[in-house]
Amino acid sequence: MKRPALFLALLLFSLAALIMGYRFLKLGYPLFPMAPGQVWQLEIEADMDPGSGESQLTMGLPFPRRGNFILEESVTSGSYSFNLVTQGPNRVGTWSGAGKEENQEFHYRAVIASVPKRTTPDQPPKEGEYALKATREALAAFADLFPTRRNGTPKHRLERVLDFFKREKESSSSSSPAIQKFVEWEKRYGRTETLLILLDAAGLTARPVQGLRLEEGIQTKPVQWIEVWIGRAWESLNPETGEWIKNPALLLPLAVGDLPVVKTNNAKLTDLRWTIHRQVVRQWKLLFERIVRSNQFLNRWSLFHLPENFQQTFRILLLVPVGALMISILRNIFGFPTFGIFMPVLMALAFRSTGLLFGIGMFAGILLIGYLARRSLDRVHLLLVPRMSVMLTLVICCFTFLALLGNKLGQREFMAVGLIPFVILTMTIERFFVVIEEDGLRRALITSAGSTAVSVIAYLVLQWERLQILFFVYPELMLAVAALQVLIGRYTGYRLSELFRFRNLKRAS
Amino acid sequence: MFQAFRRLKELGVLSMNSRNADYIMAGNPRSLFPLVDNKVETKALAEKYDIPTPNLYYLVEHQGSIGQVSEKLSGISQFAVKPARGSGGNGILLIKGKTDEGFLTQSGRVITQAEFDYHLSTILAGVYSLEGLEDKAMIEALIHADPVFHEVAYQGVPDERVVVYRGVPVMAMVRLPTKASDGKANLHKGAIGVGIQLDRGLTMSGVHHTNLITRHPDTGNPLKNIQIPYWEKILLMAARVTEMTGLTYIGADFVLDRELGPVLLELNARPGLAIQLANQGGLRRRLEIIDRAPEEIFQTPESRVAWARETFGK
Repeated sequence: MKRPALFLALLLFSLAALIMGYRFLKLGYPLFPMAPGQVWQLEIEADMDPGSGESQLTMGLPFPRRGNFILEESVTSGSYSFNLVTQGPNRVGTWSGAGKEENQEFHYRAVIASVPKRTTPDQPPKEGEYALKATREALAAFADLFPTRRNGTPKHRLERVLDFFKREKESSSSSSPAIQKFVEWEKRYGRTETLLILLDAAGLTARPVQGLRLEEGIQTKPVQWIEVWIGRAWESLNPETGEWIKNPALLLPLAVGDLPVVKTNNAKLTDLRWTIHRQVVRQWKLLFERIVRSNQFLNRWSLFHLPENFQQTFRILLLVPVGALMISILRNIFGFPTFGIFMPVLMALAFRSTGLLFGIGMFAGILLIGYLARRSLDRVHLLLVPRMSVMLTLVICCFTFLALLGNKLGQREFMAVGLIPFVILTMTIERFFVVIEEDGLRRALITSAGSTAVSVIAYLVLQWERLQILFFVYPELMLAVAALQVLIGRYTGYRLSELFRFRNLKRAS
Repeated sequence: MFQAFRRLKELGVLSMNSRNADYIMAGNPRSLFPLVDNKVETKALAEKYDIPTPNLYYLVEHQGSIGQVSEKLSGISQFAVKPARGSGGNGILLIKGKTDEGFLTQSGRVITQAEFDYHLSTILAGVYSLEGLEDKAMIEALIHADPVFHEVAYQGVPDERVVVYRGVPVMAMVRLPTKASDGKANLHKGAIGVGIQLDRGLTMSGVHHTNLITRHPDTGNPLKNIQIPYWEKILLMAARVTEMTGLTYIGADFVLDRELGPVLLELNARPGLAIQLANQGGLRRRLEIIDRAPEEIFQTPESRVAWARETFGK
């Protein structure tokens, strides 16, 4: 009995290994297809109170450089007109219009791919492009520091500046006249400006940059850094610490040089925010353009050929077997009690749209209401099918109420309630009732806790992006999952819960 | 933890996974399950094999027959109404007499004729049947519990569970109702399981949920050393259940009636594992001993019972 199961598992494993091996060796797939690059979606939202007459909003927009590609962008300008001009490396967007008294909203959206490896060469600065007005005075002030202003490689000179910067930090108000000068200038011009002067004095071309950190979230203020031309490329410097920025690809410049990031003309900016999201599917698309164009059989049958919204579905769907595997493990090896077999996986899927906390909260709330209703319904002695129909109606009523409530409160999560699998919820209410009736409240609560724990674990697995990518690229991994499921199906040992259950069994028989 | 694993293994405890895979799936074909899940079929079979069951007065098969029930029960004032496919004791109505207003139940409640008819109707519609399928209502003789367990049972009727493997009784226990179990003999509802020495039919200590006990939690009386009457007969009936159903691994539930002696109440194709706690011993060890037993002991129910009493008695 054990042998055929082992054989089946081995067969499934080797089949998966075979297909994967073919992909590695023949088609040159990456072993770990977790792409190094990222695709970001940038959204800029600006609210403006225009004055009477002509008013204008000027804004620095992302531009392609250093492995940052702009894949697509869109602008809404309302009744205003929109203009895009290139100034040096910058792209400046201008919304202009007149005679609009009420608040104006502007949107800009861009999808930006950052692929550090595919570096496009930086544009060298033109002669005198970033020259500072204070040069002569600065030259004099820092002349002692840089006797070899025009000698040595830019890199070497930059090292000296950084050295100086470090010394300045360590001994804030110490003897050296250069440092005293630096401190004085810093008070006058600000840190970034002073550092720029210092770099200029060292004969280096440097420019201030304002931009955003490429990370998920909302930013309301751009960050500032300095770029120094060192012969072949611009290097980024953190003006606060005076250190290199190790991963400049994580910064998205919006305005280079003296250009402001935002400027208004005859108007008041009331709200401005930059929202950045990571996008995964697009990232795979970039990486696997190759697959789509290839004529190899397996490539032609890759999931990457699906339209994008269906790809989204399959990203999750391919992990459902993994969720089922988790349930098998948690039930048959750990002995977690759950309501129904797949209820936790379906819950996990729903949590994706409602969020974990709201999902569990709403589920528990409706379960409680449903249980109370089911209890009072028990006295009416309804037959099974109509009774379940009544419960289903109640569940949908609860959904409707929550959605309306969510709309009033502006809570999107409440409105996503419709994605909770209502049939499963109805069945769970029935199971919950039966377990309380037959096995008592304690058992019902334990089972609820077990179900919740399993759903949360399944949810975390489904949300694991790397796993999603892995299964999407290698769907044959499902065969390996099936193999594991077969093996668990033949696990006839003790469940961990049984160690507890039989703990009082002491004497040998 | 590994120590705990090893200890259970040494004790020969049967795990849920192993019960399902190695014994139920391997030995109990699904096609035979209806024989035990449907009490009407069990009863018909038991009759063929001379195993006594509570006398069936009338089987209500259709909603239309509800009206004839009173006529069929004329002269009978005590009876039990059960759904044929019910489980966990749900939908059972015990009637111990008639009054002017209607029927007097075991718990002292009076229900009217209309309520009684409605109850039958819900049974037929499948309210108490597990899958919600249409069901039949059995009207059977009321069991009058043998007074042997009077001191250690809180209301209700205690029953004896015998686990039988390949026709050999493996382990047995008495299930005693408690206040918490509401007079029902279901262990997970809080009834007590008390192990039985297989050779002599004497009770041992008991288990309440997962705790070991020696006294009944409600009556406070000791559970040990109660002699089960008709022990030999019960074992023989249990041993015959395998031939009767064709199921390899089965739990047989008997009740002791004051007049009739042991009667088969129901069979269970997925008997629980708590019997191991009640007996302070592992099922698996005994099942493995049975698998190594010589062929000849399996020949007759008598030989199997004799061998089991000798091998597993203590």
